[in-house]
Amino acid sequence: MTNFKKIIRSAWTNFRRNGYLSFGATGIMALTLILFLGLLSLQFLTSQVVASIQGKIDVSAYFTADATEEQIFQVKSDLESLPDISNITYTSRDQALADFKASHAQDQLIQDSLSQLDTNPLAASLNIKAKDPSQYASIAQFLENDKFRSVIDKIDFYENASVIGRIQNISNGIRDWGLAATFVLAIIAVLVTFNTVRLTIFNQKQEIEIMRLVGASNWHIRGPYLVEGGFYGLFAAAVALGVFYPISYFASGKISSFAPEINLFSYFVHGIAQVFLLIIVLGIFLGVISSFIAIRKHLRI
Amino acid sequence: MIKFQSVKKIYEPHNVVLDNINLEIKPGEFVSLVGLSGAGKSTLLKLLTREERPTSGEVLVEGVDLADIKDKDVPYLRRKIGTVYQDFKLLEKKTAFENVAFAMEVSDTDPEEIEKNVPQILAVVGLADKVDNFPEQLSGGEKQRLAIARAMIHRPTILLADEPTGNLDLVNSYDVLKLLLKINELGTTVVLASHDSNLVNTIGRRVISMDKGKIVRDQTHHGRYVI
Repeated sequence: MTNFKKIIRSAWTNFRRNGYLSFGATGIMALTLILFLGLLSLQFLTSQVVASIQGKIDVSAYFTADATEEQIFQVKSDLESLPDISNITYTSRDQALADFKASHAQDQLIQDSLSQLDTNPLAASLNIKAKDPSQYASIAQFLENDKFRSVIDKIDFYENASVIGRIQNISNGIRDWGLAATFVLAIIAVLVTFNTVRLTIFNQKQEIEIMRLVGASNWHIRGPYLVEGGFYGLFAAAVALGVFYPISYFASGKISSFAPEINLFSYFVHGIAQVFLLIIVLGIFLGVISSFIAIRKHLRI
Repeated sequence: MIKFQSVKKIYEPHNVVLDNINLEIKPGEFVSLVGLSGAGKSTLLKLLTREERPTSGEVLVEGVDLADIKDKDVPYLRRKIGTVYQDFKLLEKKTAFENVAFAMEVSDTDPEEIEKNVPQILAVVGLADKVDNFPEQLSGGEKQRLAIARAMIHRPTILLADEPTGNLDLVNSYDVLKLLLKINELGTTVVLASHDSNLVNTIGRRVISMDKGKIVRDQTHHGRYVI
């Protein structure tokens, strides 16, 4: 325990006496961590955009005029037994007419033509939302084989199939390229951090060699340098979080002006404990690992 | 105490720096190693601290063949041997006190003992009032005396000094030499590599002359600097 305290104290002394070097390394690491937070935001935004695009896809089954409600509800409960269904809403013929009238309340011509008809021209329908847009084809197939297929007038999947496919391609593209970009930038960030720490250690190469010559064991030398690397990470994490939260607050205002359903800031405030933990642990981990690798070379004397 | 048996050191491809060295140094001796630069003095000393390994032959310290020491045990060897260099090799980011204390800390010495012993040894080398100074605040002579204090803190049985006066003026050189002689009187074996003929001639002890990697003369008593 006293040993650990001694290592921490020695690391802190070294950190302070290497003022500029420590400042530089901490700054670079802070930039790295801010980049990570930016990538987290990018991931969040793309997933929100993809979700909102996918939320707009659905499939409707329209029933013939002579279909009974029992039959329709039977189809509905059959569908509900499928694992891929997220939500099914039933619209009766009367409801469909009321909705239609309501949405065209301003259009006198339509109102007049409707009042000329004796019967309700609209069909009852089931509006089906799947958990995953790739499932719509199999849902349509399922309806195709249903025992009440005879009362189903039409399934609009076939009209929309190409649009659904295209939306799916776009959203997959956004997700995959977002992931790839995150991955590449993360690697760059790690390399930059590693190189910075390597330079600070290289700057102290002579010290390390002298320590070896006066009979210090490798762990004795390494200990304080690893802790010093941890200090870079810790302070960098503090700086990164201190900079990122205000930025995400302002950015959030801009984003919600054109996409009101996306709230970046509240996402990060909601997960504040995880974000803090992640960034601090990541910072310390990066610092310690970089020091560990960088110092190895100088311990060979 | 120290024994070289048919030691050869060749730096690739064929730069022979030590050629068939046979040498024995007994406990308590004060040996001056002289020769022009490039004669192999420093390499000889580096073999003793395992900074270098011989290409062939054996180097023994207190009966132990250094080739048998595992890498992780090298620090224990170095704690038994004090070293002093021409360029001092002080830790620039540490104060005089911390430089000496570091050498004790690495062998897990009790902190109270460090607090007690470090000021004592600094007083012995005449740096009692420079305890908290950093190396850059010390003169050349003071730096070397600090390095000697650090080398002596373990009470090593052997002290190796590689051109310790190379960067010092006359007065400081003699101060350092007096310290080395005092250390030797207290029982430590001292090996001094130097090309300062005046200095070596005032010692009047065993002088080993080297040239082009070979021992060309070994005067056991009242040695003079001759090449």
